[in-house]
Amino acid sequence: MQGDSATTSQETTQLLRSVAEQLKMPLSTIARQAELGQLTGDVSLTDLSAIRTHASAALTLVDCYLLGLQLIREQALLPLEPVSVSSLLVETAHELQAFAKQYDTTLELHIAGKYEPVMAHHAGLKSALLSLGYALLESYPVQQRGRMSLAVHRTPNGIVTGLYGDFEQLSSKAWRTALELQGKAPRPFESLSGNGAGLFVAEAILQAMDTKLRVGKHRKQQGLATTLQPSQQLSFV
Amino acid sequence: MANVLLIEPDAVLARTYIQALQHVGHIVSYAACAQDAILAADEAKPDIVVLELRMAVHDGIEFLYEFRSYPEWQHVPVVVNSHIAPSNLEPVRTALQDDLGVVALLYKPKVSLQQLISQVNGQVALP
Repeated sequence: MQGDSATTSQETTQLLRSVAEQLKMPLSTIARQAELGQLTGDVSLTDLSAIRTHASAALTLVDCYLLGLQLIREQALLPLEPVSVSSLLVETAHELQAFAKQYDTTLELHIAGKYEPVMAHHAGLKSALLSLGYALLESYPVQQRGRMSLAVHRTPNGIVTGLYGDFEQLSSKAWRTALELQGKAPRPFESLSGNGAGLFVAEAILQAMDTKLRVGKHRKQQGLATTLQPSQQLSFV
Repeated sequence: MANVLLIEPDAVLARTYIQALQHVGHIVSYAACAQDAILAADEAKPDIVVLELRMAVHDGIEFLYEFRSYPEWQHVPVVVNSHIAPSNLEPVRTALQDDLGVVALLYKPKVSLQQLISQVNGQVALP
């Protein structure tokens, strides 16, 4: 039991360190943007949209972190219920659009076909995707910027949803290494400029839904996604 | 007025720094990663470099080793403006300041635009 508690404490400490590091980015942006208008005497130079979207990103990361922390501490599983993955992706894309625009990236929504409800926790899945989205958009390598997709597709193992872009160096091995290095190394992902705290927060939330993030592909783009099981109950209806 | 090369991976922060530095009369060229920074330096002939150390693939220290390997860039002042906390930079402080010619180590969350401008102005005004 003591071992479990020590592991949990280590996990939460590492997650906290990652999140604290990651929060410097939106907060610096807000502080410097607020200062710009004052410095130049031209308040129109202060980009209110940048302040708003970065404040939202910071608040979402904090919220998602708190949820992840609670789940790790309680070693709890989120109660699963049938969730419409299509409408959840539409909501998530809507919240990520403004942030994507700040990073000169067009966020495309790919929902091809009809999907039956999946077994998930609505708020948990949305938090995980938002957290994943903010982290990937912020760390998107500049040379690849332009397009990222929030997508869902069907595989024999279930319904896969996640975020994809031109992350050429993102591999399963790199993701496993990053999970081991999170909270210990300043850049667990060599190919991303940030520390990827949002990815680890998303992973913690998804684990509480008995699933996890995996490196996957969608329409020639590489990304991180999770596999969800269709709701059997509603399939019979 | 000076030619400033800004190396900053975050596009939104970069825009803010560029606007502030341009406002006080500097000409700013910009690179978001170490690879592009070498090309940008070649083109812009900077009088000073403002550098974030934490970047994807090649970090700022790798950039500095390459930058200093060219004779024409050995004496260009470099101001580090980074999200890395000063305590975490302790192990590399000597290398940065003595070997790689970093003239100032600034901690980005604590350094205002005005303070950054003062650093840049102070360095380019030096004989």
